[in-house]
Amino acid sequence: MSDAGPPVGKTGTLWFLASEIPVFGGLIASYIVVRLGSSGWAEASSHLNFTLALVNTFLLLTSSMTVVMAFAAVRENNFQRVATFLGLTVLLGLGFLGVKAMEYTGEIKHGFTPASGIFWSFYYGMTGLHALHVLAGIIANAVLWISALKGSLAKHGHRVELTGLYWHFVDIVWIFLFPLLYLA
Amino acid sequence: MSAHTRSYLIIWIWLLLLVIVSVAARSLLPKFQALALIFTVAIIKALLVGRNYMHLKNEKAIIYAMVLVPLAFVIILLFGLFPDFVYRG
Repeated sequence: MSDAGPPVGKTGTLWFLASEIPVFGGLIASYIVVRLGSSGWAEASSHLNFTLALVNTFLLLTSSMTVVMAFAAVRENNFQRVATFLGLTVLLGLGFLGVKAMEYTGEIKHGFTPASGIFWSFYYGMTGLHALHVLAGIIANAVLWISALKGSLAKHGHRVELTGLYWHFVDIVWIFLFPLLYLA
Repeated sequence: MSAHTRSYLIIWIWLLLLVIVSVAARSLLPKFQALALIFTVAIIKALLVGRNYMHLKNEKAIIYAMVLVPLAFVIILLFGLFPDFVYRG
């Protein structure tokens, strides 16, 4: 067994993800304390579209499975399968953003904007920052998907693992945002 | 289907089942018990994704240290702010 540490790219990605923990963790911690210290938040959150959030939870959890399937296909040197699963991941990510856009549209039409109160400021701030991360993940996965289609990904197969790590982190953030905003 | 892909599919099914548990808890349980179960389930889901999909269960302790240090700062922030907001408004 080698004494070598984890590959540099993987360490760098995990280091970056570690730096993201205080970003989302700080927002979530602030949300929890401000919510516990004031009233009326449950009433405000009852205006959110729970069904669309549930659909988005399904899309993001499924995309985590497809991206790890792409990584499994890299280990099997099956780059056609890698392309299929990366393509599915991109589609599921776009689906997530599309549903989120529908949700925002409905809320804004009903007069709930970021300026409508502290709950709505937190809601748009947290979900908006998360959606930007999803968009970044879609772009990264789409670049790899195109490389896989062109047949040039075989030399850089480890990149699928790195974007996968990022994508799973984005999924974990949603795993906490969903109950905080829609179930609590 | 390889053992890896089968385990990834099983984890995905567990994740979906746990979402159903959270949603059911919200409708069926009293508020406090529901919240306790919902956030316990969220932590289990995050661990399932982290350990199995991110393969953190195969990583060395140094990787866990990288994750735990910022997490500790978040917890310090949470408990640092908590008394101020909750008891002083």
